[in-house]
Amino acid sequence: MGNFTLGRYLPLDSPIHRMDPRAKIMGMLLMLIAIFIPSGWIGYGIIFVCAAGTILLAKLQFGFILKSMRPMMIMMIFLFIINCLVIHTGEPLFVIGPVVIYKDAILQTLYIVVRLLLMIMITTCLTATTKPLDMTLGIEDLLKPFEKIHVPAHEIAMLISIALRFIPDLIDETQRIIKAQESRGVDMKEGKMQERIMAILSLIVPLFVSAFQRAEDLANAMEARGYAPGEKRTRYKVLKMAGRDYTLLLCCTAVLAGMIWLSRMS
Amino acid sequence: MPIAFEHVSHIYNDGTPYRHVALEDVSLELAEGKITAIIGQTGSGKSTLVQHLNALLLPSAGKVLILDRTIEAGSQPKQLKSLRGQVGLVFQFPEYQLFEETVLKDIAFGPKNFGVSEEDAAKKARTAMQMVGLGPEFEERSPLELSGGQKRRVAIAGILAMDPAVLVLDEPTAGLDPQGTEQMMSLFHRLNRESGKTILIVTHDMEQVYRYCDEVVVMEQGKPKLRTDVQTFFHDSSLCRELNILPPALIRMKDMLRENGFTVSDEISDVNGLAKELARQVKRHG
Repeated sequence: MGNFTLGRYLPLDSPIHRMDPRAKIMGMLLMLIAIFIPSGWIGYGIIFVCAAGTILLAKLQFGFILKSMRPMMIMMIFLFIINCLVIHTGEPLFVIGPVVIYKDAILQTLYIVVRLLLMIMITTCLTATTKPLDMTLGIEDLLKPFEKIHVPAHEIAMLISIALRFIPDLIDETQRIIKAQESRGVDMKEGKMQERIMAILSLIVPLFVSAFQRAEDLANAMEARGYAPGEKRTRYKVLKMAGRDYTLLLCCTAVLAGMIWLSRMS
Repeated sequence: MPIAFEHVSHIYNDGTPYRHVALEDVSLELAEGKITAIIGQTGSGKSTLVQHLNALLLPSAGKVLILDRTIEAGSQPKQLKSLRGQVGLVFQFPEYQLFEETVLKDIAFGPKNFGVSEEDAAKKARTAMQMVGLGPEFEERSPLELSGGQKRRVAIAGILAMDPAVLVLDEPTAGLDPQGTEQMMSLFHRLNRESGKTILIVTHDMEQVYRYCDEVVVMEQGKPKLRTDVQTFFHDSSLCRELNILPPALIRMKDMLRENGFTVSDEISDVNGLAKELARQVKRHG
C-alpha cells in the first residue's frame, strides 16, 4: 500500500495547492480533452511543457510522478507487444525471430505512452494538490447546474466524501482481520487453491460485516444530528474563484484551442 | 521453557515519515505456567509486544525466545504456523474475526487449519464451546446473529479449540458486561490452574489484575518499566500511585482504614474478609 502514489494528496504549500478546486478540475478536464486531440508531436510538446511547469509550481517531484506510472508499466509492455504483432505498416525496422517490427508499431506505442504520461502528469497535478474534501466540494459545485435535470449533486458529493473517509479505516480493519485470522492458522500468502479461497473468505466476510456496521453507525450518527439529504445547507468552507483561478482556466482553454488549430493544420 | 525478549525493538514504517518506535530495547522474561498481566497506558507498546509472541510481528532488532523457538531480527522464520498453533492470540474485539456459517464450523476453523481432521476438529470445538459456556444449542446457529457477548465467547472458543500451550489475550473483556467479564476471567483462571496454560492478559482493569493474575508487567513508552508479582505490586497503593495507576478498590479501602488507625493484615484479599475483620475490630473497641 505504501508504494501506491497514484491519486494521493501531498500536503505541501504552493500556489497550485491554494487554487480553487473547481478551477483545477475544469482545467484538468480541458487539458485531458486537449491530449486526445491528434495534434502531433509539437502539440504534445506544448502540453508537456505546460504540465511540467504546473508540477514545478506545485513543488511536486518528478520522481513522484514516475512512481505513479509504475502500475501502468505492465499495461504498456503488453500494449507494445500487441502493437508489434498486429501493426504491419511503415518501414520494417528489424526482425526478432519470426516477428518483423515495423516503424508504425513503435510510433503507435510511443503515442499512447506519451498520452498516458501526460494524462498522469495532469491528473497528478490535481489529485496531489487538492485535499479529497475540497475535491468533493468542487465536484458538488460543478454538478450544481445539472440539478435541473435531476442529477443529485449534493448526494454524489456526500457519497464520495464518505467513501474517501472510510478508506484508511478499512485498510486498518483489513490489517487487523488478517492478523486475527493468521493467529488462527490461516496462511494468506500460500497454500492450496481450496485453502486460499478459505483464507480470502475469512477476510472478506468479517470485512463486509464491519463495513456494514460502520455504515449503519455513521448513518445513525448523521441522522441524530439532523442530517437530511434534500435540505438546504450552508457550508463551513465557501469556495471563491480568484484571479489566478481565471488565469488557469484561460491558459487551459488557450492550450485546447491551440491543439484544435494544430490538428486542423496537419 | 521460558518466554523471553532480548533487546527487542520494533519500529513501524521505518524509513518513512510515519516512522514510529513502538518497542525500544525490551529485555523481559515472562513466567511460564502463570497468569501475567501486561498493563500500561494506550500507546505504551502492549499490543505490539504481545504480537511478537506468535510472530505476527517480527522484531526490528533483538530476538524473541518462545517455547522452543527463537525469532531473531532480520531472519525470515519458517513454519510460523506451528508456532501459531502453540501460542493462541486473541485480539481486541475478536468477534470481528467470525465468518463461518455456523458457530461450530467457526470454532473448528482454527484446529482444521493446523491439520486436525474434520471429526477431531468438531470434537475440539465442542469441548471449547463447553469451556466458554456455550450450550450445544448454539452449534448450528450463525455466529453473526449472536449477541456481542456470545460472539466474543465464540471467538475465544475458536482460539481455545487450537489447544495452545500459551494463551495471549489482548483486552479480552473490553465491552463485556460485569457478569460476562467475571465468567471470562474465571475461565482463564481455571485454564491456568487446571491445564497449566501460560496466560498473558493485556488489560486496563486493576481489579482483574488483582483478583486473577500472578505477575504484572508495566509498560511505559515502549519499555517494560516494572515486572513483579501481584502481591508485591498491590502490597499497598504507593507503587501504583508512583506509576499513576488507580489501585483496586480493596487496596484503596485498606489504605484508608490504615490511615484511620485500623490494623489491616496483608492476607485479607477479598471484600468479605475485610468486612469481617472490620466488624471484629469495631466490636472490640465499641
